[in-house]
Amino acid sequence: MLLDSAPRDSTRPAGAPARTSRLLDAAYRIGALARHNATLRLRDPGQMISYIVMPMVLMLVLKPLYVRAVDGGAAQVATGLMVMFSVFAISLVGNSILSERTWRTWDRLKVSRAGAAELLVGKTLPLFVVMVVQQTVLLVYGCLAIGLPVPPNPVYVLLAIMIWAFALLAIGALLATVVRSHGELSVISDVGALTLSSLGGALVPLSIMPEWAQLTAHVSPGYWALSMMQAAVRGDAAGAVPPAAVLLAIGLVAGAFAARRLARGWGRGGPM
Amino acid sequence: MLVATDLVKRYGTIQALDGFSLNVAAGEIVGLVGHNGAGKSTFVEIVSYLIRPDGGHVTIDGRPPSATRGEVGVAPQHIALYPSATVREHLELYGRLAGLRRAALREAVEDLSTVLRLGGIMDRRAGKLSGGQQRRTQAASALVHRPALLLLDEPTAGADLETRQAMLDVVKQRAGEGAAVVYTTHYLPELTELQATIAVARGGRVIARGTGEELLKDLPGEVRVTLADREEVSVSTSEPTVTLIDLLRRIDRPISAVDVRNPSLDDLYRSLAVHDAP
Repeated sequence: MLLDSAPRDSTRPAGAPARTSRLLDAAYRIGALARHNATLRLRDPGQMISYIVMPMVLMLVLKPLYVRAVDGGAAQVATGLMVMFSVFAISLVGNSILSERTWRTWDRLKVSRAGAAELLVGKTLPLFVVMVVQQTVLLVYGCLAIGLPVPPNPVYVLLAIMIWAFALLAIGALLATVVRSHGELSVISDVGALTLSSLGGALVPLSIMPEWAQLTAHVSPGYWALSMMQAAVRGDAAGAVPPAAVLLAIGLVAGAFAARRLARGWGRGGPM
Repeated sequence: MLVATDLVKRYGTIQALDGFSLNVAAGEIVGLVGHNGAGKSTFVEIVSYLIRPDGGHVTIDGRPPSATRGEVGVAPQHIALYPSATVREHLELYGRLAGLRRAALREAVEDLSTVLRLGGIMDRRAGKLSGGQQRRTQAASALVHRPALLLLDEPTAGADLETRQAMLDVVKQRAGEGAAVVYTTHYLPELTELQATIAVARGGRVIARGTGEELLKDLPGEVRVTLADREEVSVSTSEPTVTLIDLLRRIDRPISAVDVRNPSLDDLYRSLAVHDAP
């Protein structure tokens, strides 16, 4: 139902089955959204840079303290601060989605052909890459400058980073769909990130935390992230799988909730 | 092209639409007028599939709005742009989301850059544009995929003359090519220039529809005669010429001025929609 028949699908193979064709169209739209959002993200890199530089400085400063205080102090300070500052990056996701409401562009996207899931994936894909890069840079820095042992199997580490980034993205998306303003998001993500990652043992090793804290640590995604990351760095696949499963489950539930909210008239004051 | 019948929409205690019906044929421009709260924007949101009606139904080219997502061109009343994205990036994003690729996308972007006079600002970020330039960018984003149904919700609100003229030109062009257009506005002279069919909304429904001529037919004009001693005789009439002749026959004092004012769309607007004023 358009005014002319311009060659809209010139890259699509002739005779492609309808289902394949629909998938290719969806991939094209997701690509368009991801490209657009990557451009916006690259034009405003300040927050991300600070989430990389701050933990680097802290790792360097805190390393002597950790090395004296606990066994494997270098691993603790590198992975702990990496987990903590990756949780802070939740605000990047939340702000990115919430801005669509502030700018009133979400409605413009919703009247396009892209479905809610496509919009969410296209929106968060560049942020996923940003988070993977952030965590990778911090771990490499940990190996080069802090004395984190070089992981025997980097693939495990990469998988752990991707799973953690996925869970963070989903949590960030969920937050964006329940808060009412950037200020509210800022409070929840900053206080939440500090609390959850500290409680999870990112700042102080669990072994020297009070008993109540050790018991409640399990409710924190930071705890599972740290367990997974430290197991992956050791090359312990069996040890990384249970926390990875927990994080995947958290990510799937949060992501499904966010997608449902976004599809059902988010920001319009009523379900659609 | 667009058939909306008996639409009902309620927000809590507010009845936004109350039996709103409107048909728009291919190639037709319907100017939807009415005070704020008359239901214009709610109607646009229902046709865009942003909200669902509580009652009534809509079809676009015989299909429900859920089946035509992405095929309708929508320019909302408020500015909805990414401040740090350029005009070109906006057009490319919405073009790609509509399925435009490579040469077709380039061609569509260049075409709109010309007709909406965006040439000099294509690589400028939306946050740095003037209000009129933002309006044109928003309209271009709605038009880039050449939709057969256009919903333009106050596209010239707060716009400068250049923007207004560019907007009217492109709407006339697209309607000439067969697009059905719903154009909501408070600037009634625009509808005269667009030669639009006018639909007047009040209290969540369309209460009158027709060409400007048809709607003005029964509306009184005004004949005003100013006498030499500055006294004024003013008569409201549906036949200004006959009334003027009659007045001139009856007045036996020197006359300094005569003013005959035919009813305008503004009079129509006031007479039909005045009760909705907030």
